[in-house]
Amino acid sequence: MKKITILPFIILLAGCQSITVLDPKSSTGKEQAYLIWFSLAIMAIVLLVVFILFTRFVIRYRYTEKKSEFIPQDIKGNLKYELTWTIIPFILLAVLAVPTLKITFDQSPKTEAETNTNGIHINVTAEQFRWTFEHKNSKTVHNELIIPENKDITFHLSSKDVIHSFWIPELAGKVDVIPNKELIYVIKNAEIGEYDGKCAEFCGIQHANMTFDVKVVSMEKYNQYLKQSSNQENED
Amino acid sequence: MGGIVVISVLKYKKLPVIWEFMRTTNHRKIGTLYILFGFIFFLRAGIDALFIRSQLAVPNNDFWVFQFEKYNEVFTTHGTMMIFFAATPMLLGLMNIAVPLQIGARDLAFPFLNAVGFWLFFTGGMLFNIAFFLNSAPAIGWTGYAPLSTSLFTLGVGSDFYVFSLQISGLGTIFTALNLIVTIVRMRAPGMKFTRMPLFTWATLITAFLILVAFTVLAIGLYLLMFDRMFGTKFFHGPDGDPVYWQHLFWIFGHPEVYILALPAFGIFSDIISTFSKKRVFGYPAMVLSIVLIGFLSFMVWVHHMFTVGLGPVTNTIFAITTMAIAVPTGIKVFNWLFTMRGGVLRFTTPMLFSLGFIPSFVMGGVTGVMLSVSAADFQFHDSHFVVAHFHYVIIASTILGIFAGIYYYYPKITGFVLDEKLGKWHFWLFLIGFHLTFFPMHISGLNGMPRRVYTFRVGEGLEITNLLSTIGAFTMGISMLFFFYNLFKTHKKGEKVGNDPWDGRTLEWTVGSPSPEHTFTPMPFVEETDPFWYAKLRRERIKTTKEHRASPISRDSILPFLMTITLGFMSFCMIYKWYVPAIILGAGVFSFFVIRAFHDERAEHYGKEQTDDE
Repeated sequence: MKKITILPFIILLAGCQSITVLDPKSSTGKEQAYLIWFSLAIMAIVLLVVFILFTRFVIRYRYTEKKSEFIPQDIKGNLKYELTWTIIPFILLAVLAVPTLKITFDQSPKTEAETNTNGIHINVTAEQFRWTFEHKNSKTVHNELIIPENKDITFHLSSKDVIHSFWIPELAGKVDVIPNKELIYVIKNAEIGEYDGKCAEFCGIQHANMTFDVKVVSMEKYNQYLKQSSNQENED
Repeated sequence: MGGIVVISVLKYKKLPVIWEFMRTTNHRKIGTLYILFGFIFFLRAGIDALFIRSQLAVPNNDFWVFQFEKYNEVFTTHGTMMIFFAATPMLLGLMNIAVPLQIGARDLAFPFLNAVGFWLFFTGGMLFNIAFFLNSAPAIGWTGYAPLSTSLFTLGVGSDFYVFSLQISGLGTIFTALNLIVTIVRMRAPGMKFTRMPLFTWATLITAFLILVAFTVLAIGLYLLMFDRMFGTKFFHGPDGDPVYWQHLFWIFGHPEVYILALPAFGIFSDIISTFSKKRVFGYPAMVLSIVLIGFLSFMVWVHHMFTVGLGPVTNTIFAITTMAIAVPTGIKVFNWLFTMRGGVLRFTTPMLFSLGFIPSFVMGGVTGVMLSVSAADFQFHDSHFVVAHFHYVIIASTILGIFAGIYYYYPKITGFVLDEKLGKWHFWLFLIGFHLTFFPMHISGLNGMPRRVYTFRVGEGLEITNLLSTIGAFTMGISMLFFFYNLFKTHKKGEKVGNDPWDGRTLEWTVGSPSPEHTFTPMPFVEETDPFWYAKLRRERIKTTKEHRASPISRDSILPFLMTITLGFMSFCMIYKWYVPAIILGAGVFSFFVIRAFHDERAEHYGKEQTDDE
């Protein structure tokens, strides 16, 4: 029964498939999008119940001339009802908590790298107002990130000055870039394409322009790219 | 603007009124001042919001000068002013006016301290506004994250204005909270047990405790930041310090602050919904218990603002769970409000409309709150316009609608007039529609990758339509305020005074005159149930009174609070510019006012008289 009531919502939201974050291009991003959809579905149940009760009560019990002398029954409360709307939200939240915990445990940024030899490691340095990406052969480029598809990309993030935040909406969520502390964030299995990267933490006058281009390419192209000298690729 | 005020003051010979309000320690007058100045700052911050929305209306916009530094200053001012100098003081104003009347007290426990609290807020607000005219408004966001806010990265005095003005007004807020706690615990009418207190008073009591803890933490944070900025310490940067310390301190204050704004509004809505449904609040004990629980839990969730800081998976998951837990007591309140309406007779007056508008809007903000607590999903939401949408949904739906509901509801107690209902409804509907039109599209902007605090976006990011809608909505809200002004103007011009009880109220505040006189509750009311006035009216009796005697505060005019805080304001101004010699002199001045106060009791001449009045 409940499934039927949320159906219109899902149809409504199906129109939003083109929304960037809900249509991610990496498995990290897909897990996050799944969580967003799942929590939205559970919360839609709550919204719907409140909206229906609210509309019904407002219409049914509104003041009319007939009721001008009417004194409503003096009700103090109802333990059964109140327990219902304490326990059911509890259950809904418990259901929501399970995938939240699992995915959060996998994805939370860490302070130490795991021994993940398969992955590609890239050092990311943020400063006002520029991103620097250093690949494994010390190839260093600014404001352009090129990574291979279908790999675990491990980012080692650090900042030279204030706090920035590393965000590629199409691929995965944010992670802060903090001075004097290296954070590790892993993005898994990106798909080929061109995406926008941004700084998401307010960092000063040019914060809005602290963006970078992301290209996900095939492994061969990535290896080729590494061999090109950095000067050719990008002048400061 | 200032000129017009000066001219009209002189023309209508209002100087004596201003002099009276500068010296007053009466709770209604101080409450009025709180609301008045809170509202002025609300307008200023609202105009900032319109600047922000004008700049973001279309992609690659160059609206006037509001890009780069100016834009950063504008959003910093908007956030800081709205939270510290608009929402909080307007709520404190409503508490000041209504709480003593609701519990049958003559005034707050410490009238002098109450005046000091107000003037501290006033001084802080003025100091913050002066920064704008000196072209050194802070540009660090209302959260003032280190190390950007330290002297390494913001060299000018802008951030110092932020530190000092928040410090001063925060101190005032702490004083007022202390005052409210003592008043509610000590000054209730005979027979008004805790279990018979109106819910607005309950909410005020819990809020006051939250203020006491949260604003103290803020004061500590600001103090450390001041040392970092002015005296070369390194708490928030360098190898020994850590910028994340600031975030912990700020959010241990900042999260309870959200509930400091929401709980009093919950209280106002409870009273209004009950009054205009002709029913007592459904499940009173559960309502009180959930306020207490929300207050308690609000101190255990601050890390949900820091999921992306890298505190580790364990911390992230623990705080995800505690954050979800807060939804349960909030949900209890929502359903209890709904069931208060069930079976009642709903009168759609303006205060009731604001309260009804609150329920669905707030629930929409609440569910996105639960979505944000899903920590891995929060990596996507964090610092995007989705978050901007969420907290505006929660804060505007609870605090701002609550303040408007409270102003319309208590307007007779403040001035003796009832605001015009028809204009009130225009105000409500335009505001509500504008509000949803502004902030609903922001959810989608955020999910389309729009970070907060950016002054521009490009064509082709899928952000054009949603941003344009938001801007239209913001101006609709702006227009709704014009109806409110016209309402004030029209009501006062018409000048029809109303009696004690224009709304058919239920609690003690509706038994006293409108506007509430300085000498109330003689003889003392004797309270035997919740909503005593309502049941007395049903039984066609007068409310019971008692000859019992009770110590009551005496409010006497004094200019000292004003002088004290203004001197403190000038001292802070000198500190900001590092003029230490005048700062020391002014500091000594503040201290000497303390000494004068210690040896001078303005109530002395009044002792003895009061007793004879009562008997």
